[in-house]
Amino acid sequence: MSVTYLEAIREAQARALAEDHRVFIYGQDVGKFGGAFKATKNLAEEFPGRVIDAPISEDAIIGLAVGAAIEGLRPIIEMQFADFSTVAFNQIVNQAATLYWRTGVPCPITVRLPFGGTSGSGPFHSQCLEAIYAHYPGLIVMTPATVEDAYSMLLAAVALDDPVIFCEHKLLYYHLKADALPSEALPVGKAALTREGRDLTIVAYSAMVHEALAVAEQLSGEGVEVEVVDLRTIKPIDTDTVVASVARTGRLLVVGESWPWGGVTAEVVARVSEEAFNLLDAPPMRLNAKDTPIPFHPSLWKAHRPTTESIGAAARKLLRL
Amino acid sequence: MPLVPIIMPQLGESIAEAVVVQFRVNPGAAVRADQDVLEVETNKAVMNVSSPCSGVLVRWEVQTGVSYPVGAVLGYLEATDEEAARIGAGSHFEPTSPPPPHSEPSTPSTPVKTVQPTVRGLPVPAHLAGASYMSPRMKARMNELGLHAADLAGIPGSGSGGRVTVEDFERFIAQLEKNKLTQASPMRVAVADAMRRSWTRPLATVGLTAVLDPLLAHRKTCEPRPGPALYALRALAIALAENSAPAGRLIGNKIVHPPAIDIGFAVEAEEGVLVPVLRAAEKRPLRALVKPYNELVELARQRRLPAEATGGSIATVTNFGTFGLIWATPIPLPEQTLVLGLGAGRRVPAWDEATQQFRPVTEANLTLSFDHRVLDGGAAGRLLSRVASLMATPEAL
Amino acid sequence: MVPDGSPWTADSANRAGVERYARAYRYMLQARLLDEKLASLYRAGKIHGGVFLGRGQEALSVSIGLSLRRTDVFAPLIRDLAGRLAFGETPLDAARTALGSALGPMRGRDGNVHRGVPRRGLLPMISHLGAMIAVVNGVLFARRMKGVLDSVGVASIGDGATSTGSFHEALNQAAVERLPLVLVIANNQYAYSTPNERQFACAALVDKAPGYGVRGWSVDGTDLAACLHVLGEAVARARGGEGPQLVEARLLRLCGHGEHDDASYVDPRLKASPLGRDCLEVARQWLWDKEPGMRERLEQWRAEAQQAVEDAVAQAQREAGPDPYKEEWCALASREVAEPFTH
Repeated sequence: MSVTYLEAIREAQARALAEDHRVFIYGQDVGKFGGAFKATKNLAEEFPGRVIDAPISEDAIIGLAVGAAIEGLRPIIEMQFADFSTVAFNQIVNQAATLYWRTGVPCPITVRLPFGGTSGSGPFHSQCLEAIYAHYPGLIVMTPATVEDAYSMLLAAVALDDPVIFCEHKLLYYHLKADALPSEALPVGKAALTREGRDLTIVAYSAMVHEALAVAEQLSGEGVEVEVVDLRTIKPIDTDTVVASVARTGRLLVVGESWPWGGVTAEVVARVSEEAFNLLDAPPMRLNAKDTPIPFHPSLWKAHRPTTESIGAAARKLLRL
Repeated sequence: MPLVPIIMPQLGESIAEAVVVQFRVNPGAAVRADQDVLEVETNKAVMNVSSPCSGVLVRWEVQTGVSYPVGAVLGYLEATDEEAARIGAGSHFEPTSPPPPHSEPSTPSTPVKTVQPTVRGLPVPAHLAGASYMSPRMKARMNELGLHAADLAGIPGSGSGGRVTVEDFERFIAQLEKNKLTQASPMRVAVADAMRRSWTRPLATVGLTAVLDPLLAHRKTCEPRPGPALYALRALAIALAENSAPAGRLIGNKIVHPPAIDIGFAVEAEEGVLVPVLRAAEKRPLRALVKPYNELVELARQRRLPAEATGGSIATVTNFGTFGLIWATPIPLPEQTLVLGLGAGRRVPAWDEATQQFRPVTEANLTLSFDHRVLDGGAAGRLLSRVASLMATPEAL
Repeated sequence: MVPDGSPWTADSANRAGVERYARAYRYMLQARLLDEKLASLYRAGKIHGGVFLGRGQEALSVSIGLSLRRTDVFAPLIRDLAGRLAFGETPLDAARTALGSALGPMRGRDGNVHRGVPRRGLLPMISHLGAMIAVVNGVLFARRMKGVLDSVGVASIGDGATSTGSFHEALNQAAVERLPLVLVIANNQYAYSTPNERQFACAALVDKAPGYGVRGWSVDGTDLAACLHVLGEAVARARGGEGPQLVEARLLRLCGHGEHDDASYVDPRLKASPLGRDCLEVARQWLWDKEPGMRERLEQWRAEAQQAVEDAVAQAQREAGPDPYKEEWCALASREVAEPFTH
């Protein structure tokens, strides 16, 4: 038996619906159609009245979710693409993220964002928006990189009393497979040491973790052992695990698929510079996508984001410093 | 027609400003693109600023003799829309006021305080590609082990630009363990630190041969016998009393003159060198100094020098001749500018012009090692000659 | 097709009607006096931030509050003090929030008209106009899911908010879901300084109702009797399962957008027209004319309302504001995943 990243997400939702009567799913095309990516396939049938189609109104979708949360329900909202969540931006950051702080009433909503680029998707079906949500206080932002984490972290997200932005990478949906669903997981907020190393630490999240692992394999053939840290959540960031890794290797490369200004990579570098300055044997480096909207054409798209080649080149440069 | 600004260009790595020297074009004149329109001077050279495009010079915004930062607007050209568009200048660009001239153009040592960015932005300091730096991790580790950069002089670096990485360093330390290691005494470590700090200055040495016969003859007439170094010390004291500048110290752009002619002399003690001091040596004749000198030598050898007998000397005398050495280049103490050295005496034939014969004399090299920032060879030579001539008339010391 | 609220008359035999009217008037009076007090505190520099009054809107607002049950849900906007008081908010909560007392419902973390108690169905607004409507939808949606089927939700907005995307999305959503939402538009002719003709092009905002597939109501916002009638009807229809109700009340804003605004742009002809009547005065006059004995009660109510205002303000002024050093600077309920930023 093997389970894909997407199937894990579906399984997690099914389990949440089954185990907690307060959970419901709301979003465009999630009902009978099963969702644009089939993440809710069959769930409307299995759980009648709890998987509901919404009109194309991202603002109202999130607003409704907040109202439901005030009433004690635990909505899972599927945004069709992360890129469209910007229409709901106001409700996410000003309504959902502030409710608890302003009123003491928690807002346990989970907003699932199919994010990240796939070839040919173009500027408005490829965005990684984790950084802008992480910037606002009051939100938790998750970026699972493995099938197991997609499952257990979605369950954790639904169980948390705060709004969770759950970033699911579209590239991983059908291609990433695991043997079985996990029975246990690292706690929310802890990063995973995906690969132990000695000479260089690569910190990454979501699909970039797999690129980093590929680079690590290559460099291993050249006698260099790369340590790969998978952040898992980017708000909060597990600074301790990152610092412990830098303590071992002395060199840090942070890789993100998002754009270069600010963002997760800048945040990690800032924290390591501040808290682990004397552990660094070379300047901390980061690698991001290019500072333009995400291109449509495959050759442009491939050049726009970090790849095994560009990550490898950055790693080698860092090793030579 | 749009106004196009003429901007102070980036004139070289780490140049932040330049002084306007001469206008080469007057307002109203037509200019071609890239024509030299203004002469400016940096601290390295005189250079020309050229026109960004063709047009007519409308006005200059700057004055000659005043310094302006890179990026400042120097003047305006009136150009056609096409010309302005060609070079990417905005049309009808008009600032509200001219840029302030850079403060204090005269003093070269005043560092650049502020740079007003206008159109092109701030100057970018020279970029160090390839790292010849010590990483924070290296520094932390060295701190931990109590090491200095001097200790690492022998380590080849595998990092870029030959940088010593922390791996190189750890390997080096591990290698050390394989050799015979003995504990360095605190004295040794202290001297090492002093010499390292002294060496951060540019040091030079001058020398001459002094004829010792008068001194040796004089010595026989004294009881107890003064050491040869004492003659040199007294001569140095008199010479410095005549002109104390060579023993001054350079701090920034000031020469700090010595407060008193206190001269130290080197005494070899176990594991290192001690430097007792004779205070106000210009005021007391040689004979009066013999007893205190000998007492201090004895105390030094026994490592029982009182605190007030060391420190505060403005120059040092060392008799390296006692080791049989004829030449040496001692290193001045880090807080001093001068060290006077006396080599071993040798019996050599010297040509006597008067008698047209060689006759035997006892010669020794007299050396002066000095901080070359405070004095040059000429001043050092003059001081040394004066010391030698004083030593040639020992009865006057 | 648009039911119009005709002036409601109660004959002296219909005591319940007059008492209800009087009760409404008392809330309106309380709101007006508290508003005036806040305005004078603002002018004296005692209030930090903006002050927004409901002058001229009290009749409409109180009708919302009285038509709802305490178990319903209400998302008031910036001129709804009368409605809030009728719905159960205390003058003390209002005074505490305005004066920054740490004991107010928002604990100093939000202020002025951004106040509410969500668990009691009184939703604290955010500044983005139109955004609260979908939240009311969510509460109603959730209650229905939980089997609570007799709730009604009111979202109060102004003419300006009808231009927002949020308004459109939320009204459409409520209609598609057939939620018991009553969306009350106080069309006071101006959104800050923008007159209606720069805000929308349709003849009347209530004309949008059929566009969304909902029932529309139009009412003279200066007439308390009419407002009580129309709001009562609209709420009843919603509660009866007839889907969302859109109410447009026509009135004039009788104050600045905020107390910082002198509203000199308001067309004087509007002020002089029937639209410019002060609904509080109209109601007072109606009661005054209604029967003997009402006069003494009016005086007494004024005195009591004034006293309640003074008491609430005095108490709030005695209370301390929040202490930044005692604040728990954490925006998450899940403390274990909060970032330990040290600055």
